[in-house]
Amino acid sequence: MTGESSGRAAEWRGTAAGRSAEPPLVVEHVAKSYDLNGAIVPVIGDLSLTLREGEIVSIVGPSGCGKTTLLNTLCGLLAPDSGHIRWHGREVSGQPQNVGYMLQKDLLLPWRTALGNTMLGLEIRGLAPAEAEDRARAMLDQLGLHGFADHYPSTLSGGMRQRVALARTLVNEPDVLLLDEPFAALDFQSKLLIENDTMGLVRGGRRSLMLITHDIEEAVSLADRVIVLSKRPTRVKAVYDIDLGTERADLMAVRESRDFSHYVRRIWADLDVVLQ
Amino acid sequence: MTAEADTAPAREPEAVTRISPLLAKRRWTRLRATLAVLATQLAILVVFLALWEQATSGNKAFAFMFGSPSAIANFLGQMVRDGSLWRDTYITGLETLLGFFVGNLIGTLIGLSLWYSRFVSRVVEPFIIALGSIPIIALAPIIIIWFGTGLISKVAMSTLSVVIVALVTSYKGAVGVDPDQINLMRTLGASKFQIFRKLVVPASLTDIFAGLKLTVGFALIGAIVGEFMSSADGLGHAIFKAGSLYVIPKVFAALVVTIALALFLTFVVGKIERLLMPWRRQL
Repeated sequence: MTGESSGRAAEWRGTAAGRSAEPPLVVEHVAKSYDLNGAIVPVIGDLSLTLREGEIVSIVGPSGCGKTTLLNTLCGLLAPDSGHIRWHGREVSGQPQNVGYMLQKDLLLPWRTALGNTMLGLEIRGLAPAEAEDRARAMLDQLGLHGFADHYPSTLSGGMRQRVALARTLVNEPDVLLLDEPFAALDFQSKLLIENDTMGLVRGGRRSLMLITHDIEEAVSLADRVIVLSKRPTRVKAVYDIDLGTERADLMAVRESRDFSHYVRRIWADLDVVLQ
Repeated sequence: MTAEADTAPAREPEAVTRISPLLAKRRWTRLRATLAVLATQLAILVVFLALWEQATSGNKAFAFMFGSPSAIANFLGQMVRDGSLWRDTYITGLETLLGFFVGNLIGTLIGLSLWYSRFVSRVVEPFIIALGSIPIIALAPIIIIWFGTGLISKVAMSTLSVVIVALVTSYKGAVGVDPDQINLMRTLGASKFQIFRKLVVPASLTDIFAGLKLTVGFALIGAIVGEFMSSADGLGHAIFKAGSLYVIPKVFAALVVTIALALFLTFVVGKIERLLMPWRRQL
């Protein structure tokens, strides 16, 4: 991260003084359950994990294992029943700051142009409109959306809409990104391209990324570490450190390496999917 | 070589002009479809009026009971000449518009602000349903007693016909906002007021405008019902008076003007909707 942008980040964080030595995110023994017709349904059993600075972690798990509940709990949108969530060493009440959140649905506001959508977070933080616009335009340009700033979402393709959503997330310069299957709805080609751009921006900005996905190949090709979750109530079932060497620079080449399919097969076995 | 270089630039404008006949053709196809619809509608109207005229021209009892298009046209002409058409339309239009604005303003403000508090909305829900189930016409005698026989009582009738519908549609729009979208706003650090202003209000516009289109008619009904009860002018007054005197063509003439007024007001609301929601135009 450049000196200028880390200065900005510190300014937005207000009282928080820069980065601490603590990892950006530590989850300790978190449990969460829902009430369903009077019965308590445990969703997250006892979950602990750590996201280190500059690290990309993928979380995979069987369908319906509570990945989205986990993400919403981390973001402070749901309160855990027990356990601790520490952002940069501190437990936060409400929403953690400097955390970017993105879902499979782009959630763009249809009445705002690509530019207006990108500016949303800056506007909420009370940044001067002219500066917010400059930054949003720069971010859209960086994501290859130059010339589409004044388009309404309804006139953009799925891949472009997701790029706008990514711009809306990244323009706030978050330290940590929490992405919940952000590329799942895209075709393979758009997906590879946007993954490539995302990884570039994440690694270039020394950001940490937690990517929740059901796509094992995506998880292995992008992450430094893959955490496999169990069925409900969710726990960490296995952790893989992904070492694919230098080939990682090219997301297509990565998929062709022998280690890649080796990891994919082992994680697939962990997921314990019963075929009909 | 030189011959090729000469023809190459000439080819480009040709390519451009080749697109426009295609565009023109498509435009013409679309226009033709619209014209066919309009022509059919006009034909239905003409046949209906002709049959009506035919059935009543030789039969005095029929002509008395059902009027006739020519008699209606005569009365319309007479209303134009004596100025009553403009005056009555103006009065009823004014009552309708005032009721429409006041009713929608109050209803929408309450409906949207109910989004703020789940507690308050649960408390007031049965009351709103109770108020919404009252036939407005049943209130007319009380309204006349409270507000007199002038403009205000008609505006009050019109407002009452509109307010509950506006409240319910705007509340429905506000609570129908995608919870994921609200979560996104929260993760961006938005306060409750920011979520309300930047997300809930614009997201409710579609429902609010659906309510506006619906309530144009209700506002007009309220005004006309008010005029039926007690009035000195307005289209409702004209209809009521002509009906009491058994001048059926004149009833129809005033009715035609009322329909025209309703269509015009609906058209204006549609225009405003497209002006206020430009993102829907590009669809």
